[in-house]
Amino acid sequence: MELRKNSGAIKWALILLCFVFLAVFLLLPLFYIVITALRDGISGYINAITDEYALKAVWLTVQATLWAVIINTIFGISAAWLLTKYSFRGKKILSTFIDLPVTVSPIIAGLIYVLTFGRQGVLYDYLDPLGIQIIFAVPGIVLATIFVTFPFISRELIPVLTAQGVDEEEAAALMGAGTFTIFRKVTLPHIKWALLYGVVLCTARAMGEFGAVSVLSGHLRGKTNTLPLYIELLYQGYDFTGAFASSSILVVMAVIVLILRLIIEKKGKKELDNKK
Amino acid sequence: MSDSINRSDSYVELRNINKHFKDFHATKDANISIKKGKLVALLGPSGSGKTTILRMIAGLEQPDSGEILIDGKVVNNVPGSERGIGFVFQSYALFRYQTVYENIAFGLRVKKVPEKEIKKRVSELLTLISCEGLENRYPSQLSGGQRQRVAFARALAPNPQILLLDEPFAAIDAKVRLELRTWLKEMITKIGITSIFVTHDQDEAIEVADEIIVTNQGRVEQSGTPQELYSRPKTEFVAKFLGNSTVVQNFERFKYFEKQDEDVTAILRPEFVSIYKKDENVQFVRSVEEATVEDIIFRGSNMEIKVKLHGNLISALRSINDPIIEVGEKVNVFIYRLFVISRDKVELIHNLSLKQETVVI
Repeated sequence: MELRKNSGAIKWALILLCFVFLAVFLLLPLFYIVITALRDGISGYINAITDEYALKAVWLTVQATLWAVIINTIFGISAAWLLTKYSFRGKKILSTFIDLPVTVSPIIAGLIYVLTFGRQGVLYDYLDPLGIQIIFAVPGIVLATIFVTFPFISRELIPVLTAQGVDEEEAAALMGAGTFTIFRKVTLPHIKWALLYGVVLCTARAMGEFGAVSVLSGHLRGKTNTLPLYIELLYQGYDFTGAFASSSILVVMAVIVLILRLIIEKKGKKELDNKK
Repeated sequence: MSDSINRSDSYVELRNINKHFKDFHATKDANISIKKGKLVALLGPSGSGKTTILRMIAGLEQPDSGEILIDGKVVNNVPGSERGIGFVFQSYALFRYQTVYENIAFGLRVKKVPEKEIKKRVSELLTLISCEGLENRYPSQLSGGQRQRVAFARALAPNPQILLLDEPFAAIDAKVRLELRTWLKEMITKIGITSIFVTHDQDEAIEVADEIIVTNQGRVEQSGTPQELYSRPKTEFVAKFLGNSTVVQNFERFKYFEKQDEDVTAILRPEFVSIYKKDENVQFVRSVEEATVEDIIFRGSNMEIKVKLHGNLISALRSINDPIIEVGEKVNVFIYRLFVISRDKVELIHNLSLKQETVVI
């Protein structure tokens, strides 16, 4: 009751607080990025973002993101399907482990892979003769990116699949449909929007990943530098125009993802309301 | 426990079926026998194992031990989709991202039936369930009754030999439920398909089913026609569960009922009792007892009168055309018969004065 009585004042106070917070901590820095990136004029900006190493960094980031999204989509769907449609011993533990990457610091995630695949690592002696190099190479970056974005897709799918229950799948199975048909005709239409949303979140996180990738990359310019690492390198070298210009690429990518997210959320909600 | 049905001509049969869910013994030595073309109800309180039995027949659960036979063949290792079964889920489980047409066609599509035949069969079923014109709707755009009928049509589309229905009326409001009951019974009789449905509602089972199988705590208590179960319960549970039963501890204090062994209880149903006003003419004047009216419940078509007799609250029904009785009034009570339960045996005991009267006359 108290809450309702004062709702006008509290509402405006909260609106003010949120906007001021966003302005100071988000919009102002973003604005600063644009200003600094354009400090040396448009041509300086274009030079910075068309730099050979900058383009290579963008390409590597896109590659790592694609791999992470593809692998996590496959894993996410499998894990969500397993956790919601079957019951087995150790289900709770598996569910907890999936969340682990979110709670572990990315630096530690990076170190774990160095210890596993590095020169002192257990697997190094087996992988090296085969010519497979993981750390300080592209596979390591992909691995690190997969690790930090691990739970994003499965976590989006699990609540949706839980709410749906198993009745529809059982009905389809009783009519003789195979697992793949059931997935395609019954499950997939249901999880479509949640899946896309998970992919978007996963993409956003994968693009911006710094910590774990930083440990595993070895910072070889043009070879193992992703965009966030490249930006740091420029920044450390006092190339502010270059650093901020490259940052603006990441910002644009993030804004595109954000818009996609809005569209997916809206469409998914609309469809859910229609088909409830 | 009981086996009033002849085994040799049974179409669906369960032999000594046991099923555990972890520590929970869901089905205990179940023996069931269902004849071809019958409409059978699995009746029991929630948690009595009735749905588990249905799901085992469908192949959605595997029994731990025992045999399931369909048409004389053991089907334990036959997948549900090859048992010739149509299943209507409690939630209907319609595919919510597919239209009514696609839902009904699903089973036929899986069987790779030619599109022309699918079209024919779907429109035939839509006519049967009086849902013509709804084929392009999604399940969310249907009423509860329509959804149930679509689920029924979808289950029937591939021409199953057996139709299984899990609580088919549970999700529908009271008024429509009564209509659907009659509709379903007519449909099933018309098609002549062997059907088993699960319910916890005895009125539903008695009204719709040819035969009822009563389950309790994982056991099959008794099976038989509704009349048999109602008038000749074989276990304490069935006697108590069916009808509006009252348990009476000290029935030997009732006039003209002799005391049996120690520790026996009796069960009274409203139809075993008559209540008369003091000035009404009574056939058995000598054998009535006086009791006080405690409560009167108006039930629309009749009145339920509750009276206190030797410490027991006993119910009886009176027509609304009978002289009006009021709360606190002293009335005459006559008890025709009651079920006496001793060591899980149920016996029907008649008022002794009924015998004496016939002797005198």
